Amino acid sequence: MAAVSARQHHAFRILMGRHMPRAIRVAQRIVRDPGEADDIGQEAFLRVWSRAASFDPEIARFTTWLYRIVLNLAFDRTPRRQHSPIDEAADVRSDDPEPVERVIADEERRILEWAMADLPERQRAAIALFHMEGLSGEDAAHAMGLGAKAFESLLGRARAALKQNVQKIQDTGRCA
Amino acid sequence: MTLEQFRQLAGTWGGNIDRWPAAMQDAAREMAADEQAAGILDEQLRLDRLFSLAPKVDEGRAGRAGFAVLQRMAAADRKLPWYRRGLRPSSLFPATSLVCSALVGLWLAGSLPYRQGPPDAVAVVSMVFDSSTLSLGGLQ
Repeated sequence: MAAVSARQHHAFRILMGRHMPRAIRVAQRIVRDPGEADDIGQEAFLRVWSRAASFDPEIARFTTWLYRIVLNLAFDRTPRRQHSPIDEAADVRSDDPEPVERVIADEERRILEWAMADLPERQRAAIALFHMEGLSGEDAAHAMGLGAKAFESLLGRARAALKQNVQKIQDTGRCA
Repeated sequence: MTLEQFRQLAGTWGGNIDRWPAAMQDAAREMAADEQAAGILDEQLRLDRLFSLAPKVDEGRAGRAGFAVLQRMAAADRKLPWYRRGLRPSSLFPATSLVCSALVGLWLAGSLPYRQGPPDAVAVVSMVFDSSTLSLGGLQ
């Protein structure tokens, strides 16, 4: 990151190669649209480049800083895409043979997409950071700019709502 | 810790006690020995596995996004006025090199002795013979 602050393009390319999938993944969990998630990933790294000098490793880790940028960009965009069709969030199919485990995983992923769709964006972000990205409660709270208690409460509500939605989908077979 | 507290914590933090707040972990592990508590953890672990599924982002997609960033950076650079482009380190390098070369040339011109008039014949002959002992491969 120090090299990026010194405007070294090569270092920036390495940083981007390492962290771009992470940025897109989190953005897609929140905005649900792959195209928009790609845009957010790009915008996030443009901000990393232009604001590299303001990054202080003693205050936050780079990933926490990046998550915060991605979340801000995603929260700015979600109201416009609140009810985008879930098919847009479907994954690109590959030509590889599909073993049973993979079909099951794809089906579970689809159920999760549906269940997440009704959650408020901040709850989606809490689930994405804590479960998908595996951040600790403390780091996830920091990335979201929340206190520990506020994050705990948000995560608890998110899990409860998500569990309820998953149950509803499984009972009605809505996304099958 | 009561079973209800345990259920509430599991509902918030999931089925892996290692990810719970540190202050709760010891009491939770003791509680997890109970069959009912273990059942709560199992249920939450199943949800954890589902919740941790991530959208697929393959290398190609991330690479394309990265390439687009570089293109946008280059486009933004082209839009800068000439005087701002000229002040970037990469733009200053050729100009700095030229100035340094000129300064070295001036310094050499000023410090080397200036000979007026034709050199004497002996000096010319000795110079020719000295230089003929040199070749591209080194000393002959």
